[in-house]
Amino acid sequence: MNRRALHKIKNIFKNRCLTDKLSRVQYSYDATQKMYLPDVVVIAENTQEISQLMKIANRYKIPVVARGWGSGFTGGALNIEGGICLSLEKMDKVIELDLDNMMVWVETGMVNYDLQEYVKPYGLFFPPDPSSWKFSTIGGNIAENAGGPRAVKYGVMKDWVKGLEIVLADGTIMKTGSKNIKDVAGYDLTSLIVGSEGTLAIITKALLRLFPLPETKKTMQIAFDNMSKAAAFVNKILLNGIIPVAIEFVDKDAIKTVKDATGVDLPDADAILIVEVDGSKNQVEEDAAKIERLTKNESSVMLFRIAKDEKEADDIWFARRSISPTLKRIADGKLNEDIVVPRSKLAEMISKLQEISKKYGLPIVNFGHAGDGNIHVNIMYHTDNKDETKRAFKAMDDVFNECIKLGGSITGEHGVGITKQDYLEKQIGKEQIELLRRIKRAFDPNNIINPHKMRL
Amino acid sequence: MDKRLYEAWESCVKCGICRSVCPVFKEEKTEPFVARGHITLLSELIKGNIDFSEETAKDYLYKCLLCTTCVESCPNNSETDTIVEIARHEVIRRHGLPTYKKVMSKVLKSRELMDFAFKSASVFSPVFSKSQSKPRDGIKLRTSLAGIEKDRLLPPISKQTFLDKYKDDRKRAKIALFPGCLINYTYTSIGDSLVEILKKLRIDFTVPKKQLCCGAPIYFAGNFEDARYLAKKNIDLFLNLDVEYILVLEPTCASMIKNDYPKLFMYFEDKKWEDRARELSRKILDPVKFLHDKTDALNSLKRLNIKTTYHDPCHLKRAQKIKDEPRAFLKKATDFVEMKKADRCCGNGGTFSIDYRDVSLKIAKRKVKNIEETHAQYLVTGCSACIMQLADILNQEKKDIKVRHTLEIINMAMGGKSEG
Ligand SMILES: Cc1cc2nc3c(=O)[nH]c(=O)nc-3n(C[C@H](O)[C@H](O)[C@H](O)COP(=O)(O)OP(=O)(O)OC[C@H]3O[C@@H](n4cnc5c(N)ncnc54)[C@H](O)[C@@H]3O)c2cc1C
Ligand code: SF4
Ligand code: SF4
Repeated sequence: MNRRALHKIKNIFKNRCLTDKLSRVQYSYDATQKMYLPDVVVIAENTQEISQLMKIANRYKIPVVARGWGSGFTGGALNIEGGICLSLEKMDKVIELDLDNMMVWVETGMVNYDLQEYVKPYGLFFPPDPSSWKFSTIGGNIAENAGGPRAVKYGVMKDWVKGLEIVLADGTIMKTGSKNIKDVAGYDLTSLIVGSEGTLAIITKALLRLFPLPETKKTMQIAFDNMSKAAAFVNKILLNGIIPVAIEFVDKDAIKTVKDATGVDLPDADAILIVEVDGSKNQVEEDAAKIERLTKNESSVMLFRIAKDEKEADDIWFARRSISPTLKRIADGKLNEDIVVPRSKLAEMISKLQEISKKYGLPIVNFGHAGDGNIHVNIMYHTDNKDETKRAFKAMDDVFNECIKLGGSITGEHGVGITKQDYLEKQIGKEQIELLRRIKRAFDPNNIINPHKMRL
Repeated sequence: MDKRLYEAWESCVKCGICRSVCPVFKEEKTEPFVARGHITLLSELIKGNIDFSEETAKDYLYKCLLCTTCVESCPNNSETDTIVEIARHEVIRRHGLPTYKKVMSKVLKSRELMDFAFKSASVFSPVFSKSQSKPRDGIKLRTSLAGIEKDRLLPPISKQTFLDKYKDDRKRAKIALFPGCLINYTYTSIGDSLVEILKKLRIDFTVPKKQLCCGAPIYFAGNFEDARYLAKKNIDLFLNLDVEYILVLEPTCASMIKNDYPKLFMYFEDKKWEDRARELSRKILDPVKFLHDKTDALNSLKRLNIKTTYHDPCHLKRAQKIKDEPRAFLKKATDFVEMKKADRCCGNGGTFSIDYRDVSLKIAKRKVKNIEETHAQYLVTGCSACIMQLADILNQEKKDIKVRHTLEIINMAMGGKSEG
């Protein structure tokens, strides 16, 4: 890295500018488990210094990669060609809680869960809840347009971000959006930046909508002897006029993995649905009773269970939340994709996945958000087995092709990053990629903000 | 090095879950001070991708409480504590021990030196320290000494050690007591409480005089050689006694003997001693669990008119899975109120509280509000290191809450002498 540039950066960040190898190693990875060393790590404390940093980076054409808590699954926070790792983990404060408008301004290094805890005493909550909510930041959530189980009812990040403070590649600090419920002045830059995977600007602050905490909720676990029937059951629930806050599914292999890893007690089923309803006490009772009645008429249901208290609900969720990180027990290699299909195609996609698993002779573990057709597909293989590795990538090809054929998308929540860039063009076509590039250039002419992601 | 160690760090998938639970990370908020960071560091070190200087190693590796909260929450059971211990060992192997830890090892390895050190401290204690108004709560230094600030509340030093006080009466006894250094030299009253309880229940016990420090402080510092020396001495001594149980009063010592002795020999592929350690491991029992499971103590309690709350020591709750038994006693004998996050580490972590006093206090401070919210008069816990830490922070925050060991409350409820 240019010595003068480094000298200037050191002057700004002082002891929060880390150049020793040990520190750089610590900021070289994320949940993809790939490693790329940054040349320097800076730990930011305010927008001003980020603006100064960008001016230097832009002038010397040094890549800058923003980083939240590094829980990303597509390598977004990795410094592919070195440069600056800009960590926002210390910018984690609430700036303004506006109860009248039910909105909050926060620094984007704040962890999603900490925000939830902050607004809870006011009878409010922030609906987007990625499974990683306890260890991912609002900035990372915005950049990836993260969503979680509650998306069926409440949507994803883009539905809750009203405005942003951003720093552009040339150091310009800018605010987008407003507190107005209706605001159609100009292009909707806020929405453009939500989901931009940290490639357009550094997001330093966010204006978020909040929602009143529902009075109560109920969590249910339904075990099925047939995965496709479980998928079809999701639509039955919705068609009966119930919009659960979450409908999650876990397939057979996922059940087994969690059982082995954590010892929790789970039924031996082909699939488990976790259904949660929220709202007023009466509404919740009614919805739960309706769902129970539906299960009685469904021959493939093996077990129906309602959590009696919060602890039991936590236990039901614990199993779902533990799957992803425990997969390593099946095989050391995993191609983890979060495809999404229109809900009506969920059952069809699941049977396609089972066919693909048979065709290539590899375990495919599936779980995810049945309520919004979002499937976490995990193709497991042993990295030291060349043949298995080859088969795994071929299987992945099939998965994406089938998904796109059904009108689905290659990613529902983790983003494209580096791991899925090969497939983006397949889905959206050459012309759209070219348009994305032109937008990127308008924001960042020298391509210094998180280059190499999404092939930009 | 053992293949199992590679597996230990290979198991980490870098998901970041540990970031949400680590007490040190909560204060420091940067990657090097969390399980994921520690694990990466050791793997890169062993692979030879990075080199450790003593300074960086100290910065990165010693700022971990070994509280195992991350291990408990990690979906892959990555054993960060083991990994950090081994990394520290690696650093010591390359750079040697810092002087004060060298001295510490030397002293801890010899009962005579320990006795001498503490007896001198007891004699000179009035010269360099002043008692607080309530002597049970501790003393403060008149000037800062050996890295310990003068405002820090320290445990009172006993005139007679626990080991000196009671007989090595092994003829009839089926139970041996292992007080641990803190109770032996300072919080003797906790040991006295157990003795009074056992006497009331007519249970014979013996206090083997030749027992040595369990070695935990040495082992946690990464000094496996000296820890091994102590482990062998204690294994020999206790396996030769014909007792059913060894009641270890300090959870840290219990966890060291029960869990870490076997691990220690495993690292060196010393199968014979590993087996012996496992044999001893089966006899180790926490006294409160013993009273709960094996005696009628619970039914012999009188109700005390006091309000209590309980703090879970890491080495009791996580290392030994004991959390319900102490609560059962407190619920029976007192007006018990659960505090929020009762199992969050108090921040003591042995020498951590000396090396990183500021972080240690910040961690402790987070407990104060939760304790206060219960309106309890007594904060009860099962570990004297936690008592030392929490009494200190409550004193600094000027809170009038007494800190007592579960055994002291049980003893009070059995009619034993009350410290008030
Ligand atoms: C076990 C597990 C479960 C998960 N479950 C879900 C889930 O249910 N739903 C879901 O959507 N995701 C999930 N994820 C993925 C991940 O947690 C999310 O993508 C999350 O939003 C990333 O947040 P982070 O703070 O860790 O960001 P990082 O990983 O640090 O960064 C992610 C991307 O955001 C960019 N970025 C971060 N902060 C900023 C900023 N301030 N300004 C500009 N760009 C920024 C980075 O450059 C990078 O491109 C899961 C991950 C794990 C490990
Ligand atoms: S130590 Fe466990 S919790 Fe932490 S990153 Fe590794 S796998 Fe995840
Ligand atoms: S043992 Fe405790 S202090 Fe150390 S990394 Fe784990 S949670 Fe943090």
